[in-house]
Amino acid sequence: MRYVDAGYAVALSTLFVYALSLILRRRRWERAYRATTPPADPQSAAGRGERS
Amino acid sequence: MSTVPRVGPRPRWLDPIGVLGVVALGLTVWLGLWITPPDRTQGDLARLLYIHPPIATVALYWVGIVAAGGSLLYLWPRTRSLFWDRLAASAVEVGAVFSALTLVTGSLWGRPAWGTWWTWDARLTSTALLLILEIGYLALRRVPADAAVRAKRCAVAALLIAVDIPLVHFSVDWWNTLHQGGTFIDPGFQIHASASMSWTFLVGLVAFSLIFVWLLGERYRIEVLQDAVGDQLLEVSLAERWSEDAALVGAGAPTAAGGPGHGEGSP
Repeated sequence: MRYVDAGYAVALSTLFVYALSLILRRRRWERAYRATTPPADPQSAAGRGERS
Repeated sequence: MSTVPRVGPRPRWLDPIGVLGVVALGLTVWLGLWITPPDRTQGDLARLLYIHPPIATVALYWVGIVAAGGSLLYLWPRTRSLFWDRLAASAVEVGAVFSALTLVTGSLWGRPAWGTWWTWDARLTSTALLLILEIGYLALRRVPADAAVRAKRCAVAALLIAVDIPLVHFSVDWWNTLHQGGTFIDPGFQIHASASMSWTFLVGLVAFSLIFVWLLGERYRIEVLQDAVGDQLLEVSLAERWSEDAALVGAGAPTAAGGPGHGEGSP
């Protein structure tokens, strides 16, 4: 059974780690996108005290 | 005013797919390890049947369809869009993970069944070649280039990788291999297994397919965001350069580089 258990453990843990890395990468890029993109609505930027 | 298109919200259907995939994966583990009976000849080793072939199916067919289809649609002038390029690139990265898992789970099955972790069998070698080609594709994608040039280059590479897919599929028929042929489902789509084994195999196939769709969606989203951030940064740096240039022209100094209205070849 140890080969079977190892097979299941390797498959599930690899997919879990890869999925987690994708979530973290996606969040990092979303932060970078928000930081580099000006707000769509200039009113909201002005409302927050930013220069529009 | 920015000319870079805004990135839309994350698709709503993605997380339900992921949740369904995790539930189906849990069901596969429960059925595969505790409910299904051991095989008559392979005993408990046959429990790898519920993960190894489904993983290989994703690595070979689902990834192949998305990567080769996306690349073909990108190369076809009428359907050319970066959407297809990004989809193909996302599929290849997810595919590399599934190809590696195919080799590892196959090796874990091969050691007790064949007495060896690895052999230069046609099925194993062509699958290893698939993984190497996918890693090569990902390396090619990191070579700096204009988006259209990179997309065209990668689309051609993906189609070359796709040539390996029928090679992997038919390797057990074309060559005398240690890897068995289609023993679970024969070419006439007749299933040679008990009902519980067949259903568990089917649940495993659905589970890994749903996980593939979720991973593909997440990876595609990253690709879109990367491109948007890159375009945005390029636009900001160009705007800064032009404003510096305009200030130098206003002060009567010669410009180092051309900007709009006063560059080389401008009217």
